[in-house]
Amino acid sequence: MRWRHLFRVVHRDIGYVAVALTLAYGLSGIAVNHIDHWNPNYRFAERSVDIGPLPAGSLADKEAFVVAQLGLDPASVRGHFQETATELRVFLVEGQEARVDMTTGRGSLKTITKRAVFFEVNALHLNNLKGIWTYVADLFALALMLLAITGMTMMKGDRGLAGRGKYFVGAGLLIPISFLVYMYSA
Amino acid sequence: MFKALTFSFSLGLALLAACDKGPTKSSAQPAVASAPAAPTAAAVPAPAKATTTAVEGTKFGAGVTLTETTSVDAILADPNAYKGKTVRVEGMVVDVCAKRGCWFELASSTPGQKLKFKVTDGEMVFPVDAKGKIAVAQGEISVRELTLEETKQNAEYEAKEYGKAYDPASITAPKAIVRIDGTGAVFRDKI
Repeated sequence: MRWRHLFRVVHRDIGYVAVALTLAYGLSGIAVNHIDHWNPNYRFAERSVDIGPLPAGSLADKEAFVVAQLGLDPASVRGHFQETATELRVFLVEGQEARVDMTTGRGSLKTITKRAVFFEVNALHLNNLKGIWTYVADLFALALMLLAITGMTMMKGDRGLAGRGKYFVGAGLLIPISFLVYMYSA
Repeated sequence: MFKALTFSFSLGLALLAACDKGPTKSSAQPAVASAPAAPTAAAVPAPAKATTTAVEGTKFGAGVTLTETTSVDAILADPNAYKGKTVRVEGMVVDVCAKRGCWFELASSTPGQKLKFKVTDGEMVFPVDAKGKIAVAQGEISVRELTLEETKQNAEYEAKEYGKAYDPASITAPKAIVRIDGTGAVFRDKI
């Protein structure tokens, strides 16, 4: 049948185009599914520091002391914030942060690094880019629907939708339906 | 078929090249005078309102259109006076939502006092490494009075989010949550 041949061609070529984004969205999907257990975009590191009591003076003087004692580049400092009566936070570029108790000098130095690949695929998947990317993502979603429909119908006979295909489609439908039934009955 | 697909793909790439990103570099509208918030928490409190310089930096959402800045101190001192009002605030970013980038907090000049700027998840995504940057932000002030039980639940949630210990016994009175329901912001490195 002519339309079946057309579906095969469409499925094959759209499939090629969709490979990159399907893998990216799939990877991101797994990553953000587990957002309660890990941060899919950033990696955080923290080490303890002990620089001794901070000198008397202004917060700016204290900030300069912290930066010097920790061997940080003064040019990388963005500013500071007094979190409590005794705790000083010094912010540096790229999310780095020193938190120090002003009376004891004990605290921590935190660093943040982006998770390579994950940060980028998440930005695409979660549409952080906005703008025209929204429409590109819409097109991709339509392409996936097209792939599902053409994939389901391009074979005929025992291996087609009329054969064993209907059981697989039914099984695929049953999985989300079961969870939805559970959701509404719970 | 192949030609048609190749054309469509090329067209898509061309559109993508012209893509306007969510956060964008901008030099927004000019304003009148200058009185930005200080980059330090324990600074001299800013006046309640002041007109400020042009907003330049990385833009999020609808950006900032108001020219008159309301100080974070003034809002936190009397939140109900600002409830439901759209304001422009300015200050140092001291915390950012680490999971979804859906909120950030602006420093006031009082130690420990911060004003949360919240957006719907995904509407704007603020980078976690923006701490220490200066934000100019705009949105509506929201004040929500909590019951004691809600206050405890909120404290537990916040403790989890900030990675701090939670002690329910320390919560003895209900509190109000004051925040800005944000429509736009601009981040820049310095005042």
